[in-house]
Amino acid sequence: MAGALGSSAFAGETLFSNYVFAVGPAGQNGTLWAFSRDNSYSGVTLLKFNVADKGTVLTESTAQAQVETDTLTAVQDGIFEDDLAERRRIPAVYAGSKFGLLLPMFAMDKNDRYLRPAGYYSVRDLNNVLENPVDAPSMADDLDKPMQYAMSGFAYDSTAKRLWIARGALGLMVHDISGKKSADTTFVFNLKAKKLERLKDNADLDLEKYPEIFDVRLHPETGDLWLATAKGLWVMSSGGLKQVSDALKDSRVTGLWMGGKPLQIIAETAYKKKEDVIGGLWRIYGEKAKDFAKVNFLDTAGKVQKKDIYDEADYTVSDVAFIGKTAFVLVRAVGGLISGYLKLDSLGVKAWEKDEDEKLQWLYGYETGATDRKATIMSMCAFPLSNNRTGLAIATYGNGVSVSADSGATWNVVLNRAKLSNNLGSIRMVPSVITPGDEALVSYKLGKESKITIEVFSYDMRKVRTIVKDAVRNADASRSSNPKEDFWDGRDDHGKDCTMGVYYIRVKDNHGHIGWGKAMTLGGSFR
Amino acid sequence: MINLKNLVVTALAVCSFVDFSMAGPFTKKSELGGFDGFVERMGAGVRELGRGNTGSADTASMPGAFWNPALLGFRENLGYTLNIEKRDLDRLGGAFGIEGKIGKRMGVGFAMLYRGDRDFKVIDDDDETMGTAKPFFSMFYLGFAYRATRQDAFGLSLSMSYDNLDVAQYFEGIDMEDSFRSPVTINLAWFRQWNAKWSSSVVIRNLSFSKNLSAKWTKNPSKDNSLASTEGVRPKVLQIGLGYRSKIMGKPVYAWMEALDYQVADTLLAFDPQLHVWTGRVGFECEIVPNATLRVGMDDLNWMLGAGYKFEIRVGRRKFPIEVNYAFLYETSAGLWSPFSLGLRGYIP
Repeated sequence: MAGALGSSAFAGETLFSNYVFAVGPAGQNGTLWAFSRDNSYSGVTLLKFNVADKGTVLTESTAQAQVETDTLTAVQDGIFEDDLAERRRIPAVYAGSKFGLLLPMFAMDKNDRYLRPAGYYSVRDLNNVLENPVDAPSMADDLDKPMQYAMSGFAYDSTAKRLWIARGALGLMVHDISGKKSADTTFVFNLKAKKLERLKDNADLDLEKYPEIFDVRLHPETGDLWLATAKGLWVMSSGGLKQVSDALKDSRVTGLWMGGKPLQIIAETAYKKKEDVIGGLWRIYGEKAKDFAKVNFLDTAGKVQKKDIYDEADYTVSDVAFIGKTAFVLVRAVGGLISGYLKLDSLGVKAWEKDEDEKLQWLYGYETGATDRKATIMSMCAFPLSNNRTGLAIATYGNGVSVSADSGATWNVVLNRAKLSNNLGSIRMVPSVITPGDEALVSYKLGKESKITIEVFSYDMRKVRTIVKDAVRNADASRSSNPKEDFWDGRDDHGKDCTMGVYYIRVKDNHGHIGWGKAMTLGGSFR
Repeated sequence: MINLKNLVVTALAVCSFVDFSMAGPFTKKSELGGFDGFVERMGAGVRELGRGNTGSADTASMPGAFWNPALLGFRENLGYTLNIEKRDLDRLGGAFGIEGKIGKRMGVGFAMLYRGDRDFKVIDDDDETMGTAKPFFSMFYLGFAYRATRQDAFGLSLSMSYDNLDVAQYFEGIDMEDSFRSPVTINLAWFRQWNAKWSSSVVIRNLSFSKNLSAKWTKNPSKDNSLASTEGVRPKVLQIGLGYRSKIMGKPVYAWMEALDYQVADTLLAFDPQLHVWTGRVGFECEIVPNATLRVGMDDLNWMLGAGYKFEIRVGRRKFPIEVNYAFLYETSAGLWSPFSLGLRGYIP
């Protein structure tokens, strides 16, 4: 059990940390869980929203809780550096009031890195962030890396009262709560026999014979259990396991998502070929479709393209959210910071823009207003905002949570923010210590619409940079900064890195108010 | 009347120079403020601050190891100076110097310059204030001079910086380094007292034994290399000073000017005007009543006012001359007033 840190005195202005790695529904209308990790501390924030008449999302309250054991977290250390799709996302699945939000749990390895699967979290409420340790059997020591048996998928069968958990090389675990006592059983997938076998104590984890299980889902209409495995896509029936897709036969299916109306089933395939990750996005859409087909990528006019985003970079899917006919597929590039979501409708993924270089833009994100700072999007979910409205939420690495009540047309950013005084009464640089290329946000608050000039001075009060000059900014209840412009990147007016030292940031408005902030840059390269 | 005319001519010359130096027609490739060396640029000594940070062409300037090591060749007694500046935005500065004569023609001096921020809020990405840091930046000078003639002296000083950011304690997961030391750099100087009225100086600052004789060095902000290493570059400086002494209505008046050229490039010599930043300093002072001096000056675009009072403390038969100085500063670009600068200097005969 974890202790709640308390509600915010300023609604909508606190998160456990702005480094949010996962978002998921919290069960009730307008409620959302966010899981954050800031260095060695991890915690959850429960956000409550309501929707104004015009469709604007308003943050009603936020409250936080730190995980009880500070040597455990849901965010493993390989989330950025790993290149295997199944280890580049954090499965966050809402499993009803019995379990709440389910998240994997990791402990430190001998190198003090969170790379040892240790069980799963069950986030029921702020006072019940439950840690459910799951031991690894002895034969797991024979695997190359403990992360091969990381929990990468959850599915809760509320009828049978069984929680199914995909465990990679350790197959599939079921946590059965139908009896008086709960029981955990682990199965491996016997490919030749096409059935699940109970994992024996002396079993040999031959991954050719017993392929890894990366994801598990319950079909929302039939209730069947679907398994995404290293050898195709399978569905469990009374007689054993049955392959459900010829197109994905023997494919390394790393992720599986189901939802929307009409029902869409989306599958991700990904495998390594030398240094590259070869990814693919597949789906079944509508009742007439018989098998999975590769997702089409369309230009702005709707014409199917031969090349798609996978030809530009190695992408892996982080999450999929469904609203009506549209699936929002969140992807992140391997070995880079590029991230964004694709809008997948009945025809495919349609580009929202063709840029000056004739390059089609399929990814929605910072450029389309989903975040107001260039932050990597880590997670995405759909959640009920009200009885007739589904919200979208994204979690970002450093810029909090963004929520939309209109399927991504407009977004509301929720951040951990300190209180500011009106009329430039206090200026905060967030963060105040940077290296060139980072962004220190100039945070200020105006009592009325003003024209703002922001300048950076060295210690000896030589002006080194004009960030904005006479830029119009609105009055705001929390802060008036425009995050897309009002930041200092540690460079001078000529784009050169400023040397290590303290710099002073002056914000002036056209009403005679002046505020000062301070930032320290650790310096850069002399070019 | 002739004296007044000379003073007016000098003042006009100085003003026209300053005008030229500040209204450079060239678009620069860098901003001087982004370079290492602000401790040096801000000068040392409240007496000199009150008259526009002019000190290189005055044998009485202290600390001589900083202003112009050649001045140390004119020391007759053991001199000392202690200064403190409290500027707006929690900036605290100071300078200390001690210097004296060696033999008949030589002098030696030590100077320490300090600049710090006493209230730097360390704010993390979550907009939480983690604490208050007190970063500081200091420079040390060891100067030597040789007085070649009664009028000429040559000097050399070795300088080194030591900085401490004081933020490492706030960064978990990074084995961060707080303190940084620059390698030794060399400053060369010449001073000439042309006659009773005129004096001049030439100081070349920040030469090093590295490539291009540049004062450039690598700084590694983390012990575990988790942060990219950075570079410090202190521009080479050519500083030319001129001093003029006269009397107006029987009262001693002084005019000082300095022209500074900063080469903002890591090259031996750059002839591209875009790689040079020129600034100027002017200062005037007048001993309005015996031992009491009023000063006014301008350093680049910053304005200063100053005052000083000289007196002696007698201990037995020995007299110890002491001067107390005050300066008022207006930093024009930033629009900041700083009324708290006090300095003490004197000689021990």
